[in-house]
Amino acid sequence: MSKGGKKGGTSRYGALLGKEMLELARSMKLVWVPLVFVALGIMQPVSIYYMPLILEHGGNLPEGTVIEMPMPLPSEVMSGTLSQFGVIGILVLVLVYMGVVSGERSSGTASLILVKPVSIMAYLGSKLTAMLLLALLSLLCGYLAAWYYTDLLIGKFAFGEFLGSFLLYGLWLAFAMAATLLFSTILRSSAGAAACVLVLLALLSIAANLAPHFAGWLPGALNSYAAQAANSTIEYTDVFVWVIVCTVLLIAGAYALSCTLLRNSATID
Amino acid sequence: MSTLLEVSGLSRSFGSVQAVNGIEFSVGEGRCVALLGPNGAGKTTTIRMLAGLLKPTSGAIKYAGQSERADVREGIGYLPQSPAFYPWMTGLEFAVYAGKLCGLGGREAGRSAGEWLERVGLKDAAKRKIGGYSGGMKQRLGLAQALIHRPKLLIMDEPVSALDPVGRREVLELIRELKRETTVLFSTHVLHDAEELCEDIIIINKGDIALQGSLEGIRNSYRKPIIELTMEPDEGSSRWARELVASVAAGQGGSNPLLADAMLQGNELRLSVREMEEARSHLLRSIVDNEVKLVRLQAGYSTLEDLFMKVVRI
Repeated sequence: MSKGGKKGGTSRYGALLGKEMLELARSMKLVWVPLVFVALGIMQPVSIYYMPLILEHGGNLPEGTVIEMPMPLPSEVMSGTLSQFGVIGILVLVLVYMGVVSGERSSGTASLILVKPVSIMAYLGSKLTAMLLLALLSLLCGYLAAWYYTDLLIGKFAFGEFLGSFLLYGLWLAFAMAATLLFSTILRSSAGAAACVLVLLALLSIAANLAPHFAGWLPGALNSYAAQAANSTIEYTDVFVWVIVCTVLLIAGAYALSCTLLRNSATID
Repeated sequence: MSTLLEVSGLSRSFGSVQAVNGIEFSVGEGRCVALLGPNGAGKTTTIRMLAGLLKPTSGAIKYAGQSERADVREGIGYLPQSPAFYPWMTGLEFAVYAGKLCGLGGREAGRSAGEWLERVGLKDAAKRKIGGYSGGMKQRLGLAQALIHRPKLLIMDEPVSALDPVGRREVLELIRELKRETTVLFSTHVLHDAEELCEDIIIINKGDIALQGSLEGIRNSYRKPIIELTMEPDEGSSRWARELVASVAAGQGGSNPLLADAMLQGNELRLSVREMEEARSHLLRSIVDNEVKLVRLQAGYSTLEDLFMKVVRI
């Protein structure tokens, strides 16, 4: 064996990540997932702007009905967009990645990859990186599209608010992706993993809304913080810092737990 | 000959099923070893443990010259029973990817991938998507990706059993070439493949090693004189054959010092004999006396196939 060309773990991580990105490009996911977010982002401002017109033509309203709706604030439209991403956007991302580990294990490609001298941290790390890149890229595209149409149809929306709410919501998506990675490692069934992640995310959001005093420091609270950031009513309290710290720790924990579980599972492939 | 791989007390159970039951063997450097056994004998389980994909319930697998910290996977190339690739990748891309995962730098991985694809005969298909490859092409790509980092030991699980006769021939020829350069261990349920390629065989049955050793040694020490008879299917001949089988079975050779074992299948009688000359003349006399309608009589030696069938049927 030649020693000259041997490289350390980072180049293997690079190779693994390169494969993940190539797969995203070849399967067109790098195109259509951001497009779904763009469609969602455009829909919110456009449908609000044309709502009186839609009601006028769609409903069985008597001739001469006058519909007057106060135009919402741009910040309300933008935070409404985020809740659109929270339902359909997250659903799409979770469905795209529900088999990220279990799929490779059951198809048998994992056994070709993991007999090579590759560390499990690099293997799962490359997958998590690709997931985060796709999620954040999609969110950025969709949110930019929403911003553009809000600006065009409804009114100005400041950059500071845009960035703040984007980052907070991005962290929530990152948490969703880390949870998907974890459940895809635990469960052999992709559908089961998707169901578990969606239930977990729903429970966290509901808990943060229903019992903000008890669950206010959990990642679920990021939803309302992102909306507040868009409305510039956010208060940077201790709890806010806790939410950020707790979410980052949970993402790291989900990754570490996935690595441990895969390393210690009786059958790696 | 130095030992490359030493396996001791290797066991694996799935629930209450004992798939591999404390097997012990070693593989010498430069040898070609076949792990032989019927379906369900525990071959794949053993191979997967050797490749590090499955954790043993107990026992140890030791690779020679392996320090505590070294990754044993550096020295192993593994080809699973039916390798699954990414269908959206081209053959060349996958081989380069495999090279990079083994720690080769980008340029070296590319060069090595090109070389190996040419050696396995995939040069023309290198730029095509793997999704369109035939079974034989996938198997050859599997060999290329397993060998990309020049491993000391090539482990293959049933490398030819899923292939048609042409693909099978191609892959067998490739293995014949490769075994000059590296140590090879492969599993198969086809004795013929093992006889053709290997120096050593390990026959396993129901999770236990039934027999192991060098092919030559086994062939010599287990070679037994046998006589095969074919008769016409009439009543008298059948009765004679049945009585002969019964007498061998009853006396365990005691009442019949010439015959060690007798087996009747339809109109064919297979006899393991202790002493060829005496047994043959005794048999011929008996045939004449009992007016057995003989079609064919052949004296010869038992083959490896007979031995394989015998150890596996226990």
